[in-house]
Amino acid sequence: MKAKHVKIIVKKEFRGLLSERTILLAILLQLFVALFSSFLMVGLTSMYDPSSLSKYSRFRYNVAYAGNDSSLNDYLILSRDFRVYSMDLSPAVTALKERKLAAVIYVPDTRPDAEGPVKITLYTLQNDLQGTIVNVKLKDIFLTYEKELRYVRQDRITEEPVPLTLPATSGGGDFYEFVYGLLIPLLVFMPAIIASALVIDLITEEYQHETLETLISTPVTFTEMVWGKVIACELLVPIQAGAWLFLLLINGIAIANVPGIFLQVTAASFIPIVIGALTALHYRERTAAQFIFSTALVVAILFVLALPANPLNLVTRLAVGEAGADQWLILAGVVAVGVLLSVLLNRYADKVGRERLAG
Amino acid sequence: MGALSDIATIARWEVKRTLTQMSRDTLPLAVILFVLLVIVMGFAAQSGMHLQDGIYTIGVDDPVVAQLIASDNRYSVYQLDRDTLWNNYRAFDAIIVRGHVWAIDTDKGRAAVKTLERDYAKYTASVYNRQEDLFAAYPLWIDTQYVKSELNFTATQSGQYVSSRPGNAPPVPEGEVIRIPTPSPTLEFSKEELRSGLTRTEAANTQISRYTEMLSPSSGPGLGTFKTPSQLAPPLPFDSIILIFVFIFPLYFSSQFFMMSIMNERIERKGELLLSAPVANTSIILGKMLPYLVMMLALSAALTLYIKAPLTIILPLVPVILFFLANALAIGMVSRSFKELSFISIFFSTVATSYLFFPSIFANVHVIAMISPLTLIIFTLQGTAWTATDYLFSTALFWLTAAVLFYIAVQNFNEERLFSEHGLLTRIREFIAGSMREDHPFLSLFLLSAFTIPFVFMIQLMCLVLFFNLPMPYSLILLILFGAAIEEVAKAVGIYTLYMKDPAFLSWKNLVLACGATAIGFLIGEKLLLFVTLSQITESIFGSILFLSLGVLWIPLLLHFGATAVFAVSLKVGGVKWRIAGLLFATLVHCLYNLYFIMGWLK
Repeated sequence: MKAKHVKIIVKKEFRGLLSERTILLAILLQLFVALFSSFLMVGLTSMYDPSSLSKYSRFRYNVAYAGNDSSLNDYLILSRDFRVYSMDLSPAVTALKERKLAAVIYVPDTRPDAEGPVKITLYTLQNDLQGTIVNVKLKDIFLTYEKELRYVRQDRITEEPVPLTLPATSGGGDFYEFVYGLLIPLLVFMPAIIASALVIDLITEEYQHETLETLISTPVTFTEMVWGKVIACELLVPIQAGAWLFLLLINGIAIANVPGIFLQVTAASFIPIVIGALTALHYRERTAAQFIFSTALVVAILFVLALPANPLNLVTRLAVGEAGADQWLILAGVVAVGVLLSVLLNRYADKVGRERLAG
Repeated sequence: MGALSDIATIARWEVKRTLTQMSRDTLPLAVILFVLLVIVMGFAAQSGMHLQDGIYTIGVDDPVVAQLIASDNRYSVYQLDRDTLWNNYRAFDAIIVRGHVWAIDTDKGRAAVKTLERDYAKYTASVYNRQEDLFAAYPLWIDTQYVKSELNFTATQSGQYVSSRPGNAPPVPEGEVIRIPTPSPTLEFSKEELRSGLTRTEAANTQISRYTEMLSPSSGPGLGTFKTPSQLAPPLPFDSIILIFVFIFPLYFSSQFFMMSIMNERIERKGELLLSAPVANTSIILGKMLPYLVMMLALSAALTLYIKAPLTIILPLVPVILFFLANALAIGMVSRSFKELSFISIFFSTVATSYLFFPSIFANVHVIAMISPLTLIIFTLQGTAWTATDYLFSTALFWLTAAVLFYIAVQNFNEERLFSEHGLLTRIREFIAGSMREDHPFLSLFLLSAFTIPFVFMIQLMCLVLFFNLPMPYSLILLILFGAAIEEVAKAVGIYTLYMKDPAFLSWKNLVLACGATAIGFLIGEKLLLFVTLSQITESIFGSILFLSLGVLWIPLLLHFGATAVFAVSLKVGGVKWRIAGLLFATLVHCLYNLYFIMGWLK
């Protein structure tokens, strides 16, 4: 196998990608995914934990308190989030419908130390962003009241949990696990999936467009051609992964060990790419090859994720700076599998090439 | 009858060919992979997902606490004595000394505390759930009653908070007071029913729910409307969202086969035989599509039956299936090579999935969720009723875009188009040109711009979903810019196509006529679709930007005409080089118009 020939093929494939501007689509895709990951983060914080948005916290919501008096009323009055009105239930709920109130709370005549529970009825607006915010704020007050009631009834509790005092959370840290434990590993491995789908396209295209004959008439051997395509796809991986890491960095997400992630991703991506090439050589037809490959990929990814210390977990730990010496062990394992698969690919491509020459 | 039997014949061919074309071992291998998938899923369920193992380092002085938190493999737990912990606290994200948690003041430290907090809440719940006297452990229950507001969607978005008027007197309802029955002071469930509800919440605390928790404050399904205070938070319909992936993924997968089948006809002119058969294009396309349509419907039905959900789930899925197939057809017809096909289809699937998926996250929170048909599926799964109007609202765009794409495909299903080797953008232009009648250019322009409306709305709604969360002035500005640009591109397409076909066509007289036809078509399309479907969104401030032109008729008509004319004139005077500049000018005009009205509106 001559390096020069492989290089020719690599160049040819890159030219093809550039001339079709498919690479442009890939970049667009990347930006789009980046846009909606940020959407996911901002959106979910504001929708599901609206209190984290400071602009809402200055506001005092009007709530109505109906029914019997209790210390819940005091908690509400003391809270800086609410303005409490004592009202009758029916006019209060009607006012709620007219959006003059944000919530109505009805408290029954149940003694704090009664046998049964205290059942409070909370009326809020359906499908409403503000209703959600009010609910989140009310939750804190209900929790305080629950604590008080639990304290009143503590003689009846037989087993208390081990006490643990947590510092008051001042917001922040909400999306740490989402970013580092999900987004980063998925994003840096996405190029690997794209690249392995691409290698299947490149190889099956030669078969289905019957362009193999012209290639065979050049001094490039079949095996060299296959390797050229594999390497072209492999080269795309660090470029794309780098673009991701760069996008994350300009978004202010600090990544502890960028070179380490590069190394792991580039090494690990080689495995699906070679498997993709093998599948393509076997089927010689895109539909079947892509179908089998993508199904196999789903199985493989699920399996890998279920193993402790898998490469995706390693990327997470590298990103947060918690990776120990075991990263080199994992890298060695990944490289070993890659070498094994390369030998397999080499043999298979040689065999297919010989068959072609024979007729 | 003839057409029907043609379709049936072609469908039979398609099935037979697909089965023979797949080499012999594909199907058995697929079955093996499927079995493997089931096994691996079982294994993963048992061993858990190990994506976030060891991201936090925690030091603990007490063996009991150490054991407690070590059950979560996100922590690397070190049990050391107090002094060592205090002296080396910088080596840890958090330390726990004498039952007190101390964390480093970094994002990571705070995240560690959040995680500890959730784990501890779960642990406390598990202790309390075992209490004999459940109502001592859970003394407070909340029954949430949702009230439908007469003013929805508009109010919060336009910056109006509920009664911002300060005052000491309680608010007095303006309308007639409706009698609300006094709620009963007792729960409708027995103690053991409540306990099993609580334990179910506890059991739901698996490896998967960990990924939901980081997105939403911990909560769980209570019993009906009854919840303990800690369960009181809008539930992220995560189970349903996962189910949606289960539904959408096979559909996307199957549409890939259709895409490939169309592409295969084009490789090496293989489809010539089919084209030369005395069969209408419509029959060929429908015939080729039929097996995939049946397969997708069958898959959806099987999945629905498997999860024992009501079959009404299929209703919102039908337009989605057609939309996927129409796009598969279009992509299969325009791409030049396999890699182009791959990239375009990956791009399409990402965009389509996000359009379908993201709004549905807010199914329980916000009306914006209704623009996705998947929200209806979530509602069906949750047992929330939806109406025919809801259905029309969330699926109309899917029906319409699918229909338009099919029409364009049928018009262009010929040798010249299928086997051409032009670049992507040229091909798209050719396709549009192929769908226009040469003898009636103005009628074609009118219809074309009317039929771009569903696409324009879809993209604009996508922008709405994406920008919805940015802080207020930015989201408005971006929406104004993008909304205008998208509309201008849509209106320019027809005139540009005609110009590229024959630059001489664009005489000054024809230019005026063409702009007129485009503007009228656009306006009528917009009005029609809005009246039918989008009234909910148009009432909000975002809607008023996107669909501002709904007011008096002649002003928006003038705007559409003017902006289109800006583009057409730049094209005529400057030639093709000026197309981008022309678009930018037109967008600018459109933005200024919108700004003028919004400014006026804001005052």
